[in-house]
Amino acid sequence: MKRLILFLFFLNIILAANAQKFMTKNGYIGFFSHTSMEDIKGDNNQVAGVIDVTTGEMAFQALIKSFHFDRALMEEHFNENYMESDKIPKSIFKGKITNLSSVNFSKNGTYDVTVEGDLTIHDVTNKISTKGTIEVITGGINASSKFNINPEDYKIIIPGVVRDKINKNLEVTVTMKYTPLATK
Amino acid sequence: MKPYVKIALAAVLLFAISGILAALILFNKKHPDTAKAKPDFVISAVVLQKEFEDNEKTASARYINKILEVSGTIASLTPADSNHLNISLKTGSDLSSVICTFTGINDPSKFKPGDVITLRGECSGFLMDVLLNNCATIINHK
Repeated sequence: MKRLILFLFFLNIILAANAQKFMTKNGYIGFFSHTSMEDIKGDNNQVAGVIDVTTGEMAFQALIKSFHFDRALMEEHFNENYMESDKIPKSIFKGKITNLSSVNFSKNGTYDVTVEGDLTIHDVTNKISTKGTIEVITGGINASSKFNINPEDYKIIIPGVVRDKINKNLEVTVTMKYTPLATK
Repeated sequence: MKPYVKIALAAVLLFAISGILAALILFNKKHPDTAKAKPDFVISAVVLQKEFEDNEKTASARYINKILEVSGTIASLTPADSNHLNISLKTGSDLSSVICTFTGINDPSKFKPGDVITLRGECSGFLMDVLLNNCATIINHK
């Protein structure tokens, strides 16, 4: 419960809020990098996320150990060598839709948005700005975005032997299917 | 060629081959088959979630990276992206569950909310819920 209260505090959420806040605990974040040897792909389907449609604020939290790779060795290296997930178990994003007025949350449809905020990976926080899509559907909101990050910006040290093989830009995909918080 | 040179060459060759073989085996290492693996802990979803809620640090040290055999009642099913299925197990808390991700299946029709199941998975830790990955069903009690 302590964890939950902290999480809600972090998101500046009041539980008594009406259905203006939507959440998911089954969100998806994946990353992809094409290399000359093989493609690197990690999937996380256990992302917790909240969006407040009145303010446009949104936040995600993900456990690093929930990223799954096809190759067990790649998963091991990702956790132990690059992300140090025993020491730094989580990644967090907290940001805001900057063009909220262009989204009509009471009308089903797809809207282009720009999201700005702080992305914390490997205990390093950087400002990011990315384009994304909000889809308003009956009984929920789908959000998706694709953007690139450079591991070096997050002090993720990639050893020399493989550094040249890993593209400097990892493509990150975010897909969230939110449902109203009030019904959870 | 002198005999000791031949022996040295053979030794180098053998070393190189065994090195390549070891690298290949390591490179192609599979994830543990949780359906067959011996669980490190056998526990109910209710107790597991309560342990994380009461003391996350102690529970993390005990369970993360371990294979857990967890029994519980299905609260909800969420077909996730990229061929995954998330099953949430009920706990003593309305706000926190045990979320188990199955890889390679996205057909939830084998399960329904209310089913009592036993599954095995690797514990990744705790966000708002206890998270298990690489899950396999052991028994669906229905």
